[in-house]
Amino acid sequence: MDQVQVGVFLSDGGNQLTKILDYNAITEFVKKVAGVVFVARGSEFWRGQGLQTMVDAIREGKVNRVVVAETLPKLSEVKIANAIEDAGLNHYLMEFIDLKDHCASPHQKTPSEATEKAKAMLLGAIERAKLLEPLEKLEFPALKSSLVVGGGIAGMQTAIDLADFGFEVSLIEKEPFLGGLAAQAGRFFPTDDCAICIQSPSSDIKTITHTSRKCVYRSGFTEIPNLNILTNSRVVAVEGVPGNYKVTVEKTPRYVDEDKCVQCDLCTAVCPVEVPDEHNARLRTRKAIYINVPHVHPPTYVIDGSVCKFHDCAKCVDICPTKAVDLDQRSEKVTMSVGSIIVATGFKEFNSSAIKEYHYGEYPDVVTNLELARMIDGFGPTGGVVVRPSNMKPAKKIVMIQCVGSRDQRYKPYCSSICCMISIKHATLIKSAYPNSDITICYIDIRTTGREHEYYYEKAREMGIKFVKGRPTEILRDPEKGKLIVDVEDALLSRFLELEADLVVLAPAMIPADGAKKLAEIIGIETEEDGFFKEYNAKLRPTETKLKGVYIAGGATFPKDAPTTSLHAHSAAMKAVKFLHTGKIVKDQRTAVINEDYCGDCEFCPVTCPYGAITLEQKDGEHFVAKVSDLLCEGCGICVGTCPQNAIELRHCRTDQMQAQMKALMSINGTSKPLVLAICCSECGHAAVDSSGMAKMEYPANVRVMKVPCVGILQVHQFLDAFKAGAQGVMVVGCKIDGCHYEVGSQKTEKKVELTKILLKEYGVEPERLEMLNMVFIEGDKFAEAAQMMTERLEKLGSLQTFGGS
Amino acid sequence: MDTRFSDEITGRPGGETITRCYQCGTCASSCPVAKLDSRFNPREIIKLSLLGEKEEILSGDPIWLCCSCYNCQERCPQKVEIADIIYAIRNIAFKKGYIPKIYSEFASALTTEGRIGKVSKFVENKRAGVGLPTLQPTGIEALEKIFAATGFSKLSQKKEETQ
Ligand SMILES: Cc1cc2nc3c(=O)[nH]c(=O)nc-3n(C[C@H](O)[C@H](O)[C@H](O)COP(=O)(O)OP(=O)(O)OC[C@H]3O[C@@H](n4cnc5c(N)ncnc54)[C@H](O)[C@@H]3O)c2cc1C
Ligand code: SF4
Ligand code: SF4
Ligand code: SF4
Ligand code: SF4
Repeated sequence: MDQVQVGVFLSDGGNQLTKILDYNAITEFVKKVAGVVFVARGSEFWRGQGLQTMVDAIREGKVNRVVVAETLPKLSEVKIANAIEDAGLNHYLMEFIDLKDHCASPHQKTPSEATEKAKAMLLGAIERAKLLEPLEKLEFPALKSSLVVGGGIAGMQTAIDLADFGFEVSLIEKEPFLGGLAAQAGRFFPTDDCAICIQSPSSDIKTITHTSRKCVYRSGFTEIPNLNILTNSRVVAVEGVPGNYKVTVEKTPRYVDEDKCVQCDLCTAVCPVEVPDEHNARLRTRKAIYINVPHVHPPTYVIDGSVCKFHDCAKCVDICPTKAVDLDQRSEKVTMSVGSIIVATGFKEFNSSAIKEYHYGEYPDVVTNLELARMIDGFGPTGGVVVRPSNMKPAKKIVMIQCVGSRDQRYKPYCSSICCMISIKHATLIKSAYPNSDITICYIDIRTTGREHEYYYEKAREMGIKFVKGRPTEILRDPEKGKLIVDVEDALLSRFLELEADLVVLAPAMIPADGAKKLAEIIGIETEEDGFFKEYNAKLRPTETKLKGVYIAGGATFPKDAPTTSLHAHSAAMKAVKFLHTGKIVKDQRTAVINEDYCGDCEFCPVTCPYGAITLEQKDGEHFVAKVSDLLCEGCGICVGTCPQNAIELRHCRTDQMQAQMKALMSINGTSKPLVLAICCSECGHAAVDSSGMAKMEYPANVRVMKVPCVGILQVHQFLDAFKAGAQGVMVVGCKIDGCHYEVGSQKTEKKVELTKILLKEYGVEPERLEMLNMVFIEGDKFAEAAQMMTERLEKLGSLQTFGGS
Repeated sequence: MDTRFSDEITGRPGGETITRCYQCGTCASSCPVAKLDSRFNPREIIKLSLLGEKEEILSGDPIWLCCSCYNCQERCPQKVEIADIIYAIRNIAFKKGYIPKIYSEFASALTTEGRIGKVSKFVENKRAGVGLPTLQPTGIEALEKIFAATGFSKLSQKKEETQ
């Protein structure tokens, strides 16, 4: 390795810091530190002449390590890093400190102490800088292709976006037809347009304006050349890495050839098998060979293999004029390589029969919203007439019950968020078609939060739809007349009502699609407790999962209305494009590395890594050693903090670097108070320290800050090292337990801190000398207060003898 | 108004779930008493308690009208333990000396005879008619120990003074 030549660039923030810090003394001090060959002092180094000085020093070969003390940390750090990269120095060879917010501001009342602390901070940075090594840029190949799972509006929209962008897209749907819920809902609020209307792809030569939208069945989207649609299909295996997944899909037979079927409907006439039509609320029957509605996509009949008599009958084969029926089709496995996977499996209605007192499944005239939607739809089983399924006569008196299974601690505690609007939509559609119908909606709270949604509610009241605030306790059936009676309290009037009804419509909770959990396992992503797919961070990373290259769109994350589903779908597509569009994944090698000589047959790190970046590989035919995937590793260091053999190092935060910095920070006190080392994560923990300085909150200068990527990197021995280095007290400042940027770092370290406290006690050291804090940026006041309290506590405890110091 | 009344209730065994109530009225429409007697509505008892109307709740009749059928509790979508909450409130009321006459009669019958009611001739005859033996006086020694340990004897004394 080259001789280490450290350049130190000391900004005094346009002279503002010189009022507190003695820059002459600091400069003199720095000049004498071994390894420092170049010291510059100026008003700023992140732009203009200052930055040029630094760039020149690098270009001229004077320095190969850079220590910068700046005053506008976040902004300037990035600018400087870019500039030194351009000047030919790897930006990992820079160490950055903030003499303003971490020193001058919080210690302005004790300028000489602040000056001594500044020296210690600079020394810490220099010692660390000397041990820094350049990190490479890594490139991984990425396929510009995607698999979209689920052919509802979310999946279709995502597929259109990606295909429009030129990606190779496979859209797979487990049912024989596309559309998902939209294929059943009829009309959609808030526009009251057809549910199956989707945006046309830009490749549709018949619709070249951006306003164009079309029904699924006539939308050119199915004709996009780089979009492959597989119905009757499911994912059975996923292997590989982000950017390059190998997916196996099982396609169950349709028994009818998509290229031959002409939708003549002759087959259904001869098919002898008749079963209830699930798609149409079981209000009519269908044959073993069928389509749901005439406008399905693909426009091809399908045979229900679970009921067909196959070669014992074969009537459809004989009658089919195009010889489209093939009873000998078999399931086939299709494999594909894709750069990304988008899960768009949607949701479904909760089974309301769980709530016994509503007698769903027992009283035929108790139906669900989705079943009612089929009746309202002109293509549905009743041709658009709302009937009582018990006698198929029109239903005049209709009672709707909201929150069936939703907002219910016994079933689904969450609000399903769309069912108030669905019921109001249904009520208004029925009322406009049949003004004499008598409709009552029993609700707990009405939730109409989207644009135009409240207007729907208003319109419903205007039309004479009645609203009763109360959740019915029971639905009774008059044994003679067969009428239903809904027993409810109008809670606004404290009055008991027995509402007579021809038809009761339940608004069931919306729950994840069948098989969501299994699919999550196959892909390797997480689900929430309620079974919906887990979004990585609802605020910052919507539609992303923890696994790079895997996204979720639409109702698969939570029940949503169609506009939100659309938005979500566009977002997922955009994320996939952003990830893959260059055909490669580029990242720094800020990763963990295993020392195979120490690593031995344990399984701690593979289990601990929050990103599944570590696998065990056989070595010498008998031993297993851990192996880190540079692609998956996020560089948190949690594995380092877990490894019992100290066999793992983080390339950008090695143990020797940490120790050197610690020692340096503790080598100069300059105050009469006991030294405290605050080890902060570089995320919220460090930001909290920033904010205490920004807000000029005071705490004593004996408190010194050291940054690590995540507090999860810390081990028990590192806390002891800090005491050995001379700290009388140690503060560990991480993100909030449930807000850790690396998921489990704070949580794991909290436990390690507890354990260390027990150890300290064994050594005869007061455990109060060690403290874990969990903060966010805006809690700078808490940091200042904790630093102050730690100092006072240590003063009371007196000097620490056990570790001797060094 | 006592804004801490709901804390007092949640602090008592059985009272923990009161804050979950979102006033859906399932309990009221499940309640056989509420449908017969307009003074009683479990949803209203919960609402008034959450609003801190302590005096009104403790001094009024409604809390004593619940027949403990647990229909409400069975059906409440928020798993509010309504009947148990009413017990918790009754206990608070009892402590404060708000005790309906019938309950104090039960209490004194219990402390003197070991039963909450006197066994009438009618009952004796009925028992004999179906072949059951005559009821023997119960010993109240064991009960007295329980009363002393739980503070019941003191409470019922206090109430007697206040009445
Ligand atoms: C009764 C009802 C009425 C509604 N009315 C309105 C309305 O008026 N306005 C409005 O804005 N919204 C309405 N919605 C909501 C709207 O339907 C949804 O927002 C939208 O359909 C969700 O689309 P999606 O693609 O996310 O999910 P879905 O429509 O559920 O589509 C998911 C698809 O994935 C498939 N799938 C599931 N699992 C797998 C698997 N493992 N492998 C392959 N495929 C799989 C499913 O078969 C389905 O086709 C209504 C919903 C319901 C239930
Ligand atoms: S072979 Fe099957 S689908 Fe065809 S007519 Fe017979 S039962 Fe129906
Ligand atoms: S949207 Fe309305 S009906 Fe649906 S769970 Fe929420 S409050 Fe209940
Ligand atoms: S540094 Fe973090 S992400 Fe990388 S292997 Fe270790 S635990 Fe996993
Ligand atoms: S049923 Fe439960 S949630 Fe509803 S009003 Fe009664 S106590 Fe409250």
